[in-house]
Amino acid sequence: MRPEAKHQARRMPALLALVALGAAILVQGLIEARAHDRSAVHPLLYLPSGKYLKVAALGFDDILADLIYLWSIQYYGDYAIQERYDYLEKIYTEVIAELDPRYIDPYLIGSLIMSAEARKPEMALRLLDKGFEKNPDQWILPFEAGFVCYDNLKDYVRAAAYFEKALKVPGVHPLVRRLYAGMYERAGDKRTSLREWAEIYETAGDDYVRQVSASHVHDLKVEVDLMDLKDAAARFRRQAGRPPGRLGELAARGLLREIPLDPEGRDYLYDRDRGEVSYRGSLVLAR
Amino acid sequence: MPARVFAIALNTFREAIRNRVLYLLLVFAVAMISFAQILSLLTVGSEDKIIKDFGLASIDLFGVLTSVFIGIGLVSKEIERRTVYTLLAKPIHRYEFVLGKYAGLVLTLLVNTAVMTLWFLIILAVKGMFDPRLLLAVLLLFFQFLLITALAVLFSCLSSPILASVFTLCLYAIGHLLWSLDLLQAKLKGGAARALCDVLYYLLPNLANFDIKGQVVHGLPVAAGTLGLAAAYLVLYGAAVLSVACAVFQRKELQ
Repeated sequence: MRPEAKHQARRMPALLALVALGAAILVQGLIEARAHDRSAVHPLLYLPSGKYLKVAALGFDDILADLIYLWSIQYYGDYAIQERYDYLEKIYTEVIAELDPRYIDPYLIGSLIMSAEARKPEMALRLLDKGFEKNPDQWILPFEAGFVCYDNLKDYVRAAAYFEKALKVPGVHPLVRRLYAGMYERAGDKRTSLREWAEIYETAGDDYVRQVSASHVHDLKVEVDLMDLKDAAARFRRQAGRPPGRLGELAARGLLREIPLDPEGRDYLYDRDRGEVSYRGSLVLAR
Repeated sequence: MPARVFAIALNTFREAIRNRVLYLLLVFAVAMISFAQILSLLTVGSEDKIIKDFGLASIDLFGVLTSVFIGIGLVSKEIERRTVYTLLAKPIHRYEFVLGKYAGLVLTLLVNTAVMTLWFLIILAVKGMFDPRLLLAVLLLFFQFLLITALAVLFSCLSSPILASVFTLCLYAIGHLLWSLDLLQAKLKGGAARALCDVLYYLLPNLANFDIKGQVVHGLPVAAGTLGLAAAYLVLYGAAVLSVACAVFQRKELQ
């Protein structure tokens, strides 16, 4: 064989490899183009429960949870897939949470996708409940659940119950206490809310919190006082068959222990003719 | 005896570091540890969990593969290549040969694990995620490699490399599944079957003793005495396996 032919023969396998690889890449492109049906259900959605996957993971359950979580973020972030929320609960609550129950990010992101994207707040609450059951030292989980109740369900009593759970966890952020107090206010339990805001005011660590809580205490005190005065006046009218001549009569008859003064230390206004009680100032927070 | 074992160990180490499989596994391990950095960019939340999980899992996986694929050929290849005859013609006991082979692979694994760990620590230090407890997790993984190596050596004395690798990998899987025997036992009604579960649970190698990856990555407390108990388990179980390997090799007819 001539030296040139020998040289060519040596280059042939490398050339062949390059051509074959290039062709394989082209074929893969064709496969991708054909199989790129965005509505198809992803095979990962058919995963068995995390309990069974844990068995198969042979000690690599943490990394498996990481990989499924990473995949889920990309999958649920793809708005082109219409039915992507069908197996949402399974992926987060049954698979990832079972594989790595201490992994907090999937609880937070999963519940966010469930409540904000899929509009399934109850599903988000189930995931966060499971997360808190497995991680009782993580205040963020009941806090998020409370926020879902507040923001999505407008169920302020339930939200307050979740915030209360979060408040019992050491190291909880001070904001949770303010939200807790705020939930009672929104739920109409002004008296409890006033008590909570007053405590926040007394224990405030900075000027901002002190100022915010003072505003809430101011307005809530006015609302609670007016509510008490109006209630007592109505009872007085039922008992005496006439409206009270002055607010002091409510205390004299034992309907109120004492007549409250407004936050500025003044008497509340009383219109004897119309039997109405009012505050002579204005509320600090525009609600 | 230690001098002869040491000489065989050193020779085994020299032989192992000439093995291309070792380098291939090492390159894959380093690549996988590095790849975690890219993968962590896809996450929402803390990146450090992904990087730490991948790093520890890579060290675990490639350490086990090194133990298995180099361990299984330790004795059987010497017999196959007939080099064992030259060696045993010298004043060497057969058990010294087995122990020397084991010690050589332990040395190889030590270097291998050190390289993977060093790369992992460099990445963590650059990212500002270094946690000294990760070293404890790696040390326990190293203990696991030592036990798997002992099993690989035992099977290498008993059968061909292919069968030895299958047996060792099966025991590796079983070693990580022993907790499921508890679940099975709870479902069983018969006393004998329940007792059998207990026997199997304590008889088979429990590799979960060497796995604290999750606890370390999540910053959970590791129970006091975990390291000491795992070391004691390794020494005792490893000694039992190597004794069986020595006994098997002692009785083996070399023709």
